[in-house]
Amino acid sequence: MILVILPARLNDIQKNSEQKSFGRGSWFFFANIVRQTSIPNDRMNQYYLRKECKELHAFPHIVEFAYKKISTIQFDSLKKETSSFLRFYYVVDGRFDWIVEDQHHILYPGDLAVVLPGQCFGGEKGFLDIGTVSWMHLELQQLEENGKIILGKWSRLADHETRTIGRILLLNNCSVLSKVKEAGNVFQIMHNEFLNQEVGYMARINQLIDELFILIARQLTRQNNSRRDFPQTFMKLEQSLRENLSHQWTVEEMAGLVGLGTTAFSEKVKRYTGFSPLNYLINIRISEAIKLLKRPEVHVTDIALDVGFYSSQHFATTFKKLTGYTPSEFRKKNLPTTE
Amino acid sequence: MDCIITIEIGTGAIRVAAFDLKGAMLGSSKGAYPTFHARPDFSEQDPEQIFITMLYILKNFLNEKIHPKKHKVVCICFSAAMHSVLPIDKNGVPLGNAMVWSDNRAKKEANELKNSKLGKSLYKVTGTPIHAMSPLNKITWIKNNDKERFNSAQKFISIKTYILQQLTGEYIVDYSIASATGMLNIYTLKWENDALKPAGITKEKLPDLVPVFYTPKKLKKEFQTSLGLPDKVKLIVGSSDGCMATLGAGVWGDGKATVTLEESGAVRVTGKAALQDDKQRLFNYLITEGHYVSGGPTNNAGSVFEWYAKQFGDFKNAFDLEDCMENLINDAAKVSVGSAGLIFLPYLQGERAPIWNANAKGVYFGLHINHQQQHFVRATIEGILYAIYSIGKTLQEHRNIKSLSANGTFASYPFWTQMMADIFNIPVHIKQGSGSDSVAFGSFLLSATEIGIYKNLDEAAKTVKLPDSFTPNKQHHQVHMKNYAIFERLSVKLFDEFEAIADLQ
Repeated sequence: MILVILPARLNDIQKNSEQKSFGRGSWFFFANIVRQTSIPNDRMNQYYLRKECKELHAFPHIVEFAYKKISTIQFDSLKKETSSFLRFYYVVDGRFDWIVEDQHHILYPGDLAVVLPGQCFGGEKGFLDIGTVSWMHLELQQLEENGKIILGKWSRLADHETRTIGRILLLNNCSVLSKVKEAGNVFQIMHNEFLNQEVGYMARINQLIDELFILIARQLTRQNNSRRDFPQTFMKLEQSLRENLSHQWTVEEMAGLVGLGTTAFSEKVKRYTGFSPLNYLINIRISEAIKLLKRPEVHVTDIALDVGFYSSQHFATTFKKLTGYTPSEFRKKNLPTTE
Repeated sequence: MDCIITIEIGTGAIRVAAFDLKGAMLGSSKGAYPTFHARPDFSEQDPEQIFITMLYILKNFLNEKIHPKKHKVVCICFSAAMHSVLPIDKNGVPLGNAMVWSDNRAKKEANELKNSKLGKSLYKVTGTPIHAMSPLNKITWIKNNDKERFNSAQKFISIKTYILQQLTGEYIVDYSIASATGMLNIYTLKWENDALKPAGITKEKLPDLVPVFYTPKKLKKEFQTSLGLPDKVKLIVGSSDGCMATLGAGVWGDGKATVTLEESGAVRVTGKAALQDDKQRLFNYLITEGHYVSGGPTNNAGSVFEWYAKQFGDFKNAFDLEDCMENLINDAAKVSVGSAGLIFLPYLQGERAPIWNANAKGVYFGLHINHQQQHFVRATIEGILYAIYSIGKTLQEHRNIKSLSANGTFASYPFWTQMMADIFNIPVHIKQGSGSDSVAFGSFLLSATEIGIYKNLDEAAKTVKLPDSFTPNKQHHQVHMKNYAIFERLSVKLFDEFEAIADLQ
């Protein structure tokens, strides 16, 4: 690589080295923020793209992208609406009163609202307050209630990672992330890429959206899980596991929900519970199965699937190994008819 | 080699351990289960999950540590947390989750009973202070608030009774666990009819009473097979965690007391007579006929220090509470004894012995502009141990205590143990690498006595060796006593303000 350093650009180089202190490979492009002085100021302050715009032809998944400075209040500029898109609203400056799903939030610079498809969102009084906001509406290929999410071909995130992110978005019922300046950077660079359309901009914009998802997922788990209190965090996870017991959980998903890497997560769980994460899960599955087996009206195959075994055979083997009984023997022993 | 297995059904985890017949530990293993709080006053656990966790841990432990070495399991002895209540229907199926010791929902029932004439006479025969945690009041709560569950309940049993029933088919409860229910006459060793009345039950609704040495007829065939145990393996019903911690710490007879410092804590003595405390501040639990463990519990031991660490500690690594606590203790050691007159009342979760005030709160008192963070850490630890001392002082009104034996997670910090010696002004002994082993070791002593290795528990308790000793520092003691005098007065004087603030919270 050849690096040409010109005296006039010294300022940028300093910026460059500052940014690099982030130390993560995926952040490399933040180093390339270069102010474009050739763009008129009003285009910088009022930037609005919607599906019909030619800038978005290459991005069928982006429904709207905007960077907007609001200096006068316009009624009905942000009505409460539900939509099928995933919406992100980032506050650059000002103070905004927003409603997400009947919940009132006040957002300050650096805060980000994430509105899931089907959720209702709008200004508290139906308009955008004075300040500067950047937003994006994204169309997802698929989002199921269980958190299964498919972003689309444009995304470079691996399927299982997307699934974990989807689960984090759905389970953390929290629509506002506070102090995520990094999200602001993502919006700003996207804005610049749209304006300049330099070579490679399409790839970069898609990368930036991936980056935004990663940021949000990590920030959400950090915001909602005190890194000081493992028992409390673990209780929350355990609740999620119980509520979605039929789901085929992976260690990666569980660790993602808690905001830890898989190695650290497994080690913490082992130390705290005495079990590996998957064995702990089997424990919950069998205890729930026992309760259901004591209710004569539920079919054994249904029990197996309900509590998360992939077949009644798998259920029977695991159950017998632990309890010494097969599920049907166990049921016979515990039903009143045997008395 | 022959070995004895002990199983502790603890407040948040199952602990399985194995000992050779001389009492050397061959290994141990634990498995945790959660406590659910559907409402702030509710604390519940899932009996099926506890049962499965117990089987899981026991089976893995046997397969990994016992069977490969060809050890022969002679007997299995159980101990459990006290105060749990689990209603079961006519088929033995649990009606929902079990209410565990910390469940506080029966506050109102407890207060009503405590202030009644019956309440005063009940303490005399049951030896248990009337409190929301005692099963008597918990059953009364179910009767008053959950008619359907109350009416469908064939029996009200403890978690330990449930586990033993699953394994053997018998509904039994040992005297130790039963003596903590508030319904056992600790002198006649029968369920006390007067105590059953407020709960609206008869003795048929409770499990059968058995001594701690009782051995159920047999382990069900299916479990023998799946656990790989011989068919004549002996099960011993055993005792409670509190009684076993006391026995395992070698506290038996005069002059000795034990301090347990886990999340909650307790100070206990043993003796041939129950203590009749005029103010009903002390409990009396039965180990065996004619042997009582008496003492007082605190809600606010390790849990309060953990609270402090979580709020104000420095977490360099995510979730590393132990590291963080050790750093805090090092900080505390940097300032001198008495925390420059900063005094902490640790009643963050209300308090049991000796003030028995569910509305008591935490207080930092005496702050001035020169106090630094280290003073807060030190004052916090001092306050927790002053509360322990206040229980010890209450016990000293009845017994002469010449030395302490400390156990539990927080007793393994020398800084804490030394401070305890200074405050009490008597030597404190700990077992090396103590941890929470003393419950398991107590169960070992009980089993070894049952199978004839020791003549009786007196002889068994004498074998406990406590090599590490902390001797008191007289000067430190004097400083502590000046602080403690204020601590004690504040705990009483603030009564009205505790009530007032409780209304606001």
